[in-house]
Amino acid sequence: MTTTTSADSAELRVARRRSVRRSGPTVARPGFAWAAPATLFFLLFAVLPLILVAVLSFTSWDGLGAPQYAGLDNWKALVHDHTMIQSLWLSVLITVLGVAVQTPLSILLGVWAAGRQRNRAILSAIYFVPLLLSATAVSILWRALLDPNFGVPAQAKWLFGDGNLFGKQASAIGVLVFVGAWQYTPFHTLIYQGAARAIPQVLYQAAQIDGAGRFRQFWHITLPQLRNTMITSMILMVVGGLTTFDTVLILTQGGPGTDTTISAYYMYEQAFKSFDFGGGSAIALVLVLAATIISLIVVKVSGYDKMRSSSEGL
Amino acid sequence: MKKRAWLSRAAAGSVVLALGLSLAACGGSSSGSGGSGTFKVLVYGDASNKVETQIVDTFNKTSKVKAVLQTIPGADYQQKLQTIINTKQAPDVFFNWGGGSIAPFVKAGLLMPLDDFIAKDPGLKSNFLPSVFNSAVVDGKSYGIPMRGTQPVLLFNNQKVLQDAGLTAPKTWDDLLNAVKVLKAKHITPIALGGGDQWPTLMWYEYMYDRIAGPGLFEKAMGGDKSAWDSADSRKALAQLKQLVDAGAFGSNFDSVKYTDGGSVALVAQAKAGFELMGSWYYSQQQQDNPDFAKTGLGYTAFPTVTGGTGDPNDVVGNTNNFYSVLKKTKYPDAVAQFLKLQYSDEFVKAQMAIGNLPTTTNTQNFLDTSASPAYSKFQYDLVKAAPSFQLSWDQAYPQTASQAMHTAVQEFFDGKTDADGFIKAMQALPTS
Repeated sequence: MTTTTSADSAELRVARRRSVRRSGPTVARPGFAWAAPATLFFLLFAVLPLILVAVLSFTSWDGLGAPQYAGLDNWKALVHDHTMIQSLWLSVLITVLGVAVQTPLSILLGVWAAGRQRNRAILSAIYFVPLLLSATAVSILWRALLDPNFGVPAQAKWLFGDGNLFGKQASAIGVLVFVGAWQYTPFHTLIYQGAARAIPQVLYQAAQIDGAGRFRQFWHITLPQLRNTMITSMILMVVGGLTTFDTVLILTQGGPGTDTTISAYYMYEQAFKSFDFGGGSAIALVLVLAATIISLIVVKVSGYDKMRSSSEGL
Repeated sequence: MKKRAWLSRAAAGSVVLALGLSLAACGGSSSGSGGSGTFKVLVYGDASNKVETQIVDTFNKTSKVKAVLQTIPGADYQQKLQTIINTKQAPDVFFNWGGGSIAPFVKAGLLMPLDDFIAKDPGLKSNFLPSVFNSAVVDGKSYGIPMRGTQPVLLFNNQKVLQDAGLTAPKTWDDLLNAVKVLKAKHITPIALGGGDQWPTLMWYEYMYDRIAGPGLFEKAMGGDKSAWDSADSRKALAQLKQLVDAGAFGSNFDSVKYTDGGSVALVAQAKAGFELMGSWYYSQQQQDNPDFAKTGLGYTAFPTVTGGTGDPNDVVGNTNNFYSVLKKTKYPDAVAQFLKLQYSDEFVKAQMAIGNLPTTTNTQNFLDTSASPAYSKFQYDLVKAAPSFQLSWDQAYPQTASQAMHTAVQEFFDGKTDADGFIKAMQALPTS
C-alpha cells in the first residue's frame, strides 16, 4: 500500500518536472483545468443550494411531505413583514458597530504587537487565545459570565444596575457587539501586526530626523501605510458581521421579543423553529441580495478592485 | 510517455478516492442490519434521562436486538426531531408530547399506529390511565405509549424563605400579591422566572386564563373563534398578570434569566427567590442540582385561586405526559413492542417515582410510598385525579408553526413592550391548524 503510493508520487514528481520543462520559456496563464476543482466545489456547494433555495421560496414546505407550489405567497408575506425589514437594519447596525469597535482596537494592538518590547510575545500569545475558541463556546462562556444573579453583573451593581443585559434592546446589542469584538479583534490584530512589520524602517528613520514624535509618526506614516490592510480587514469584518449567527443563537435567541433578530437568525427561526422552509428560503434570498449589494458598495468605495501599492517610490 | 504519466496520475487519484470511500463506508455500515441489530430511541435531554437509561439497559440485558438511547438537549428537541424524522437518521422510537406534537407526522404518514401491538398485548393500553393514553390518539388510532410522569404545573417555593418572612404558602391570588410585597421589602426576588426561555412565562398565562375564564376560552380560540382573545375575561386575565409584573413580582431582570441553564432553579435553591411556577419535573431538576434542598427545603402548592374567576380552582395546566411513538419504517417492530411493554413495568414505575415523577400507569397508586418524596407524589396524584380539566400547554396545543410568535407575544407583554391590545392582536394572528 505505502510502496505503491510512494512509487506513484515519484512518478508524479517526474511527470511534473517533465511538464515544467515542456512549457518552455513562455509564461502562460494557468489553464481552466487548474480552477476546475474549486469551480466544481463552488457549483456543488454554493450555486446548486442557491438555486434550490430559490425554488423552495416559491413553495410551502414543513420539511415532512413534498413541497407544495405556493406562487408568490412567501414573497408577498415578506413585503408586509416588519420583522424582516427590522432584521435587515439590525444586521447592518451590528456590522457597523462591530467595525467601529474592532478597527481602532486592532490597529492599536497590532501596531503595538509589531514592536520589539519586553514580554510582547507572551502577551500577544495570551491575547490570541479567544480566536482559538469556537464561537459557540465563547457565547456560552459569556452567557454564564453575564448572568444577572450569579455572574459579573451581580458583583458589579454600580456598573450593571439590575443586570438585565439580555432584557433590553440596547444592552442586548451591546453584548453581541462586545462578544464579537472579544473574539475577533485578535484576528484583525494579527493582520495589522504583519502589515505594520512590513512598513520599511527607513520611513521612520527619515521622520525621526525631521523631528516627528511618536504620535506624528503613527498618524503620518503607520496609518497611511496600513490603508490596504484596513480595507482587507474591514471587508472581512463586514462579511463576518452580516453572517453573524451563532452568537445570536446562544446569547439572545433574537430576544428580547424580536429586538436582536438579525436576518440570518430570522431565516433560521422561520425555517427550523416555525418549520416554514418556504418563508425561510425567501429570507435567505433577500439576505444574499443584500450582502451582494453591500459588498459591491464596499468594493467600489474602498477601491478594493484597483488597490495600489503603498510602497511607491521606495 | 505522455500517456503513462496520465495513467499513473489517474491511478493515484483512484487510490485516494478508494481510500476515502472505504473509510466513509466504515462509518456508515457499523449500524447495519444483521441477526441482532439495533434500534434508536430518541428522547428529550434532561434530568429524567436517568430512568430512560436504566430501562434501556434492562431491555438490552434480555433482548437480541439492542436499543440505543440518544438524547437531544431540551431546548433544541423539537427542531432537531422535525428535521431528521423524514431522513435516514430518523430514530425508530421517539419522545413527544402526544396530540398536536405528532399530528403533522401522522398526517405525513410517518408513524406506525400501535393498534396491532395493543391487539397482541392489551396491557399496552389497559395499564395506563385512559385520559392520558387518549391524548396520543389521532384520528381514532393510538400512536403513543406514555413514557414519563404526568406534568402538572405547580407553584414551588423555598420553605425557609417563606418562614423567615412570616409567610405561608399562598392559597389565593391576594395571598400571592401580599407575599410579593413582603419579599420585595426584604430585597428577595419574590418569584423566579426564566423569562429568557419564554415558555416559563407562558405558564402564568395558561393558569391565569384558566382561573379567570375556565378552559372554555382557550378551547374556543383553538377552535378558530379568535374573538375569544378579545373577550372581557381575556382582558381581565391580562390586567391581573400586568398587576403582578408591575408589583415587581419577578424582579426587573427576568428576561436575562433562564430555566434551561439552571439560573432560575439556583435562585430558588439559594434563597434568592421565594417562588417559581414550573412543571412537576422541577422536583427532579432540583434533586439533581441541589439534592439537599429538594429533600428538605422545597415546598409546593397548586396555583392559587383567583376571586371573581369562573374557572374551577381545581383545574390544572401542564403536559398530561410524554409519549413514545414508533416510526412506520422501523426494521424491528417486534423488539420495539417488547421495549414499549417496559413502560408499565414495576421497575419503570419505581424508577420514575425515585426521581419524583408520577407515572400514569394504573399500578402507580401501589408504589406511592416508595417515591423519593411520598408526600410530593401523593399531592400530585390527588391533584391530577381531582382536576376537572387538564389544559395542555398552549405551545403544545397549537401547531408548531405558531409557537415562535406565541412566545414572542408572551415575552413582550411581560416586559412591557406591548400592551393588552398588542398581545390580543398577536394571539389572533396565530394559525390554529
